[in-house]
Amino acid sequence: MFNKTKLQNGVHLYIRKTKQFKTVNVTIKWKAPLEQKTASERTVLANVLEESNAQYPTLSTMRKALDELYGTVLYTDVSKRSAEHTVSLFAECVNDEYFEGEDIFKQLWQLIQAVVFKPNVKDGAFNQAVIEREKRNVRDRIRSIYDDKTRYAQKRMLEIMKPDQPASISAYGTEEAVASISKESLYQTYEQMINNDLIDIYVVGDVNESEIIAQIKEFIPFGAREVKKMSAEQHDHSVDKVKTVREQQDMKQGKLHLGFTTPVSFHHPDYNKMQIMNGIFGGFAHSKLFMNVREKESMAYYANSAFSSHYGIVYVTAGIDADLEGKAVQLISEQLTALQQGDITEVELNQTVALLENSILGANDSARSQIEIYDQYKELDENFTAEKLIEKWQSVTLEDVKEMANTIQLEVVYLLSGKEGTSK
Amino acid sequence: MKEVIFDQLQEKIYTETLDNGLKVVILPKRGYSKTFVTFTTKYGSIDRTFKPHGKNEFITVPDGIAHFLEHKMFEKEDGDVFQKFGLNGASANAYTTFGRTAYLFSATNKVMENTKVLLDFVQQPYFTAQTVDKEKGIIAQEITMYDDQPDWRLYFGTIENLYKEHPVKIDIAGTVESIQDITAEHLYTCYETFYHPSNMLLFVVGAVNPEEMMAFIKEDQAKKSFNQPEPIERQFPLETKAADIPERILTMDVSKPKLNIGMKCTTAEQQGQEMLETELSANLVLDNLFGRTSPFYEKANGEGLVDESFSYEFSMEEGYGFAMVGSDTEEPDKLEALIRRTIKEAKESWPVTDEDLERMRRKKIGQFMRSLNSIEFIANQYTRYEFNEMNLFDVVPTLEKLSMDKLKTAFATFSDDSSYTIFKVLPPTV
Repeated sequence: MFNKTKLQNGVHLYIRKTKQFKTVNVTIKWKAPLEQKTASERTVLANVLEESNAQYPTLSTMRKALDELYGTVLYTDVSKRSAEHTVSLFAECVNDEYFEGEDIFKQLWQLIQAVVFKPNVKDGAFNQAVIEREKRNVRDRIRSIYDDKTRYAQKRMLEIMKPDQPASISAYGTEEAVASISKESLYQTYEQMINNDLIDIYVVGDVNESEIIAQIKEFIPFGAREVKKMSAEQHDHSVDKVKTVREQQDMKQGKLHLGFTTPVSFHHPDYNKMQIMNGIFGGFAHSKLFMNVREKESMAYYANSAFSSHYGIVYVTAGIDADLEGKAVQLISEQLTALQQGDITEVELNQTVALLENSILGANDSARSQIEIYDQYKELDENFTAEKLIEKWQSVTLEDVKEMANTIQLEVVYLLSGKEGTSK
Repeated sequence: MKEVIFDQLQEKIYTETLDNGLKVVILPKRGYSKTFVTFTTKYGSIDRTFKPHGKNEFITVPDGIAHFLEHKMFEKEDGDVFQKFGLNGASANAYTTFGRTAYLFSATNKVMENTKVLLDFVQQPYFTAQTVDKEKGIIAQEITMYDDQPDWRLYFGTIENLYKEHPVKIDIAGTVESIQDITAEHLYTCYETFYHPSNMLLFVVGAVNPEEMMAFIKEDQAKKSFNQPEPIERQFPLETKAADIPERILTMDVSKPKLNIGMKCTTAEQQGQEMLETELSANLVLDNLFGRTSPFYEKANGEGLVDESFSYEFSMEEGYGFAMVGSDTEEPDKLEALIRRTIKEAKESWPVTDEDLERMRRKKIGQFMRSLNSIEFIANQYTRYEFNEMNLFDVVPTLEKLSMDKLKTAFATFSDDSSYTIFKVLPPTV
């Protein structure tokens, strides 16, 4: 899959040579421990770097340079995984072969260099106006979760289930943390990120490996850094009592979110078995939740489960008529009970393995998916391939699925619904 | 089977129109793992008044029926079609737009078997009073889900403002009330009228051997019998040029006000190359006026009138078209004024320079090349283009020769003040 090169201590390059795509994709990931305060700093920083640098001080000059380069894409974003916070820079340009003599790929490195190594900084601080604008943008992005009732309900469920833990910390941090950012603190965050974060650089496309190594040395020469292991997953999975929380807003549909805890997480040897359990429970259109809550009872348009493996959580989401909460919770619990009692068919198992197989192989058709999947699975196995994962799924038995279902315990029932008189 | 090579893009398509009228298009992609297949009928939510197959009188069916029919295609006497796709490792889905209903799957295995499942389930309707009734609860929840999404309400509310008569103003899924009137007989009537192979297109893209796949599809279609094809007669009301409702406000529980300006397109009967030129030109004009490189954006962003939700688009189909510009904003009135002023100034003094045009041309060509990495994009867009008598692979050559005059003409189709509408979603006043 990817060919790994150690550029410096803590800085690695992963290249996948392929003629599959009409473009070349470059992704740079900076990884640091996940904390509320630094998450906000890093989110605002990612925005500031995207908007302005010393070479292209305004958004307009930067965007024009990208447009000239055949609509080259370059943007930043943040994400989290387990106890790790990542700032990513994504760039994509058209293969040089389509436009002879243009040297697009080399110009892309120059633009990345401007964004990463030529910040718009004077006297140890970023431009105040740019910072204020991006602080406001990030603050509004955090607030806007409120407008999306499904995301809001999921956020609340995680906060109730895992308060102040990585599972419920947003990759954007908090409004308060955003407000406290100063031009000096942001510059410190920048220095910290460039000099101390673990860095993974990915390149996918029709490229020459030694050329890329030379270009990285020339344009983005990151120095060596200390490799620190980010704190491992720690889960408390004892449930004393199921917490039921109901909240109301002006809305029509009831958003039912159930959180289940499990000791099986990404690094657990049974991880692949739990993926299958989740698929049969509510991961696909042939699953127990889809077939019973939606098709048989006509109670919902969506009723799904998902396995948040880095946090040891299985959760169920369904959009229902809020008056039917009790019935919905009972129906969902019945599906889990069926799994726990081994009421599972070979057909369900085979369908789930086949669809997981389809999704991992299908991910090969997008450069970004290749990068994201490898970035995650290389933690388990540097020589990860989709085929190895498929082998593991194929060896899962009905008994394994039953066993997995028995490790999960309901911890939180959360319902977000309309206020009295607004529900109809 | 006809082969067409697009040298510049390094793509090759295989096409054939079968005896029953079905158009089949196959595009093999080197290095791809997946095969993506769409089976699409030129039938969507706006096709509500038509002459049923074999009848001479126009009828009007309940709102939301095309989408309802899409849902019901998946249920058969022997169970749910998702189960069959699942066993073959295929991920299946469907969607309904204003003018199309598409059924699709993607698979890395058993591509022929899955294509057979797709062809069979779309070509063998099964509706009963009981299964139709059962679906009403599911779709009612789907409608309610969208009702709670402010951005959805903003978008469709704007379209509703723009049109007085045209059915594009009606929600694709209908309303909780309108779907109650839908019966199995309605579904059969719509099915017989619009699901004839001659009104459909099958697109296969990705890991596929074109000769084998074409032979397989031909054999399958030859074995099935269909009604004689009839030209489909749809009826659309006459639409006014002006926006129906100039302004509307919806109160929802949102964290920040939302503003959307809709501009109704005055030329709405275009098809083919003319439509392609209008569409591409209008997109370039909007990019120039409102994109990240524009003076408008610099000002709006600098003054905090827009945030990351800011967007604009141009949308055109046979019979209707519109441009939209909108954002979440603390100052909807100021933002509205700035958008209006930007349009007004463009009318007074054309803002696009030759240099701008060249830059945007390069940008759009690159964007298009990038989108050809996505087999989903290729299948869905090729079908949409074909239904509008355009060819997706004409995009680059058309962009290359697009003139400034075309941009001016396209701009004129949506820059008339009377065709504007404002839609706002505001938080409740405390």
